[in-house]
Amino acid sequence: MRRIPWGMLLALLAGLGLGLVYAWTISPARVIDSQPVALRADFKDHYRSAIAAAYSATGDLARAQARLSLLGDTDSIEALNAQAQRMLASNASGQSFNEADQVVALASALDQNAVNIPTATPTTRSADNTPDAVNTANVVVTINPATSTFPASTSEIPIEPTETPQTIETQTTPVAATPRPTRTFIPTAGSPFKLTGQESVCDPNLPDGLLQVLVFNSNRRQMPGIEILITWEGGAENFFTGLKPELGNGYADYIMSPDVIYTLQLRSGSDIASGLTIPTCQSPSGDAFSGGIKLTFQEP
Amino acid sequence: MSRFLKIIIPLALGIVLGLLYGWVIDPADFFDLTPDTLRADYKADYVLMTAEAYRAQPDPGLAARRLAIFGSQSPSAIAADGLAYARTNGFDDADVALIQELVTAMQAWSGIP
Repeated sequence: MRRIPWGMLLALLAGLGLGLVYAWTISPARVIDSQPVALRADFKDHYRSAIAAAYSATGDLARAQARLSLLGDTDSIEALNAQAQRMLASNASGQSFNEADQVVALASALDQNAVNIPTATPTTRSADNTPDAVNTANVVVTINPATSTFPASTSEIPIEPTETPQTIETQTTPVAATPRPTRTFIPTAGSPFKLTGQESVCDPNLPDGLLQVLVFNSNRRQMPGIEILITWEGGAENFFTGLKPELGNGYADYIMSPDVIYTLQLRSGSDIASGLTIPTCQSPSGDAFSGGIKLTFQEP
Repeated sequence: MSRFLKIIIPLALGIVLGLLYGWVIDPADFFDLTPDTLRADYKADYVLMTAEAYRAQPDPGLAARRLAIFGSQSPSAIAADGLAYARTNGFDDADVALIQELVTAMQAWSGIP
């Protein structure tokens, strides 16, 4: 019987190990032809900003969706909204505001269409040799509010923060051709907004002194990206609608301090809500607690 | 065969097999990459996005800043690469025209505000 050449076998295995260590860790293959999904997080932010800027310019939502799908976000709307908040928090320059506005507008447009963006990363080239990212001819749009993070109806109706979204039937709609460009939903400085509602909210489940603002356009659709100016004696602050899309695209809130009287208006022009202060509410058991205020603005 | 060769030859063969497997068959997974590694069609599409945005907001500084994520090349060179790809790969005429507009703007842009 032939003797097993253990020495040669061990040398082969040792060589294999050395080769793998070199190929995987010391000098891995140089990366070329990568896909956007593999980009570092900050470059993905740049990529999303560019997509939002292009969408803002063209209004082509299908193309924006196809491009967003390349980034592999599990929820593109959430990713866009989170990025907008990071942009607003990190830089207060006008350019940053403008770019954040575009990102919010794209998130809002996606939300309004209640679209789940396909997460699969296309790797094949289309027949006409157009890059995957701009090939929108065969995009399948899945309308699935049941699994969507945000309810489809949030842009249509005002909702209470404690309300549970209704589940509705799932529907799949194949889009045969690139849809016609739609107008980008960007708030414009139109007619001054009317203050159509001002009410005290006595809900012990909400934070004390919660000031809720809802902004609607003339078609009763909630409007994201509206700048709100709140002032008080010795101070002022800005905040925006649309940064909590789970509560509605036109929703914004602010926590009021006790014993401070606030005045609030929309930066683009609106009625002024003045004398805002934390209301005192009473629970069924007779205990007093701090309530909140809900303001509703609407474009005439 | 000498005892020395009996060790060296299998060792070298193992190294070759290891490199083949690690570089070709199952290369290391990459993430956190920079945009300069993107495939040419993705780069061209990014240039197109920048061109679309530039058409609506003709700010060459902003467009150059967007293109700068590709690294060491000048913005005009990056845009020109995108244009070349678009022309040779059947992009719509309208898209090619947009990129052409961006290339012209980047070539004219000095970078000095």
